[in-house]
Amino acid sequence: MSESAEIMAARPSDTAPRAGNPQFHRSLVGGLITALPVVAIGLTILAFAPAYYTHLSLAAFVNLIIVVGLQVFMGNSNIANLGHSAFVGIGAYGVAVLSTPLAMKKLSIPNAPFGLALVEFNPLLAALLALCVVGIIAAISGKIISRLSGVAATIVSLALLIIVHSVFLNWTDLFKGNQAFFGIPKVINLPAMLVASVVVIVIARLFKDSRWGLQLRASAQSPQAAAAFGIDARRLRLMAWVLSALICGLAGVLFAYFAGTISPKLFYFQQIFITLAMLILGGMATVTGAVTGVVVLSIGLEFIRSIESGVTIAGIQLPQLLGLSGVALGVVIVLCMAFRPGGISGRLELDEQLSRLFRRNAR
Amino acid sequence: MDYALQQLLNALAFGAEYSLVALGLAVVFSIMGLVNFAHGEIIGVSAYSVFLAAALGLTSPIVAVLLAVVAAALAAVTFERVAFRPVRYAPTTTGLLTAFGVSIVVQNLFMLLISPKPQSVSILNSLNQMWFFGPFAVSSLQVLELVVSGLTILALVLFLNKSTLGLAIRAASRDFATVRLMGIRANRVIATAFAISGALAGIAAVFILARRGSVSPDLGFGLVLKAFVACVIGGFGSLAGAAAGGMLLGFIEVGLLVALPQEYGGFKDALTYVIIVALLVYRPEGLLGQRIELGDKEI
Repeated sequence: MSESAEIMAARPSDTAPRAGNPQFHRSLVGGLITALPVVAIGLTILAFAPAYYTHLSLAAFVNLIIVVGLQVFMGNSNIANLGHSAFVGIGAYGVAVLSTPLAMKKLSIPNAPFGLALVEFNPLLAALLALCVVGIIAAISGKIISRLSGVAATIVSLALLIIVHSVFLNWTDLFKGNQAFFGIPKVINLPAMLVASVVVIVIARLFKDSRWGLQLRASAQSPQAAAAFGIDARRLRLMAWVLSALICGLAGVLFAYFAGTISPKLFYFQQIFITLAMLILGGMATVTGAVTGVVVLSIGLEFIRSIESGVTIAGIQLPQLLGLSGVALGVVIVLCMAFRPGGISGRLELDEQLSRLFRRNAR
Repeated sequence: MDYALQQLLNALAFGAEYSLVALGLAVVFSIMGLVNFAHGEIIGVSAYSVFLAAALGLTSPIVAVLLAVVAAALAAVTFERVAFRPVRYAPTTTGLLTAFGVSIVVQNLFMLLISPKPQSVSILNSLNQMWFFGPFAVSSLQVLELVVSGLTILALVLFLNKSTLGLAIRAASRDFATVRLMGIRANRVIATAFAISGALAGIAAVFILARRGSVSPDLGFGLVLKAFVACVIGGFGSLAGAAAGGMLLGFIEVGLLVALPQEYGGFKDALTYVIIVALLVYRPEGLLGQRIELGDKEI
């Protein structure tokens, strides 16, 4: 069924998300099913894996949240966003500035403006404040981006990334510039990260299936037809942009709280490449795709990185192959786009695939 | 007065370079709607082939310049053949992401096969000298940049207006289907557009090499981001818009360099982008772009 047809079937009055609504219920369950593999992987790591892998998996979960956030905007509006790391960075630096203990701040940012060197919030409050900042910046940038045509919007999202990165680098009094910002309280462990991932996946799914998500997807498919139904595509793009930014900002907050040390280059093109490749490989039309891409590429990249740093195979020491993981990421993107633009998971969410499978077997 | 003239020349030279690269992007975009993120890597291929030729014993700067332009044009045509042809009829976002992927692959190949560190290339340094006109000292490179860019743009305009293939390219940017109905091969039109785009990138590569005296894997990436911004302010897909946008960008950058105090110099890039984004608030379709209403067939 095409999305415009779905829109006709779903009148605004009876799709508003309220409790007891079967559509809402189905999306919620669907989101939880999508999150199930993530929970399974998380619990396995929690139970069996050594500490080193726990650390790796924490980083992978941050990527998962970023990719799901990216999916909220890219998947629904079908506009490429190459600036989402800006929001990850703002979230991370937000909590770094707000929650680092005073003694540590005296060492690292003694001259911070607005008296920020003299405040220390508890981690939860700091996280909320940082997300507020992300939200405000997202609302302002979204106002501009939602007005532009697809290509121009992509370029402006890149410009946003460069602006934010350049501010991190050059506002040394507040962000320490190129040096690492350390001493952020490490309050996040794997279970907390797992809960956050599940919540984010469910939110992304609920947005996708909501009236707004459906209308936005319809307007991406056919702007003309959507406009004829009275859909305000700009407002919806703005909404998706802000939600996407908040999720990415949350990823940044969580990253800062588990790593304890951050620096600007973590939130720049390298991260954009990796997360974008994950989303494309998995398939950006669905939340399931975002999850799949992260799982597949996280494992694949870890394997490639072990080759990259020089391994010994059958007694022969291979040289360091810097750039190999980059080549692999690029090749994944190019091949996906050429041969399977829908990614691994295509157009259907995990629960939809499963129910289709069962229906076929029952017949 | 001397200072003002010097800064004016600076702005013109920067602007000319941005215009060259932005034109290369616009030629390809106007025809096949491809946002070519790999354009910077075409510049990279060109610069690295000069580096390799110099390492193998090439000493003549003229041959190096020719090599840079030819290598860039070949690289552009190759990228089209290998990566962009499969996604030719796909939506814009697909093409954009493909180009982004190509850009990552090529950048990392430079890193893998040559070195992640900048490598010195001194063969084109002789282009960068000081010329004295009475009391004025000007950099020969800046004068060359301005003159060569001007001539290149003139040649491009002549080609597009006077030759059959140029006419086909202009027509293709408006209605590709009809161009094919007139018996013109799509592949030839697109390959020519890529070759032109590549040659423009090659010329830019020569200037970059002469100024920096070194090559690094991300050599062209930053420049192409700026060229994209130039295209967006000019109006995406419009050739005149790309050239004008490039010039405007050059003037904004040099203006900021002059206006900003030394200690805030690092914010130049950030402010440049802020100004440009602010411009887009007033004209979302770009300075020379046209507002296209939904359903308009004829642009």
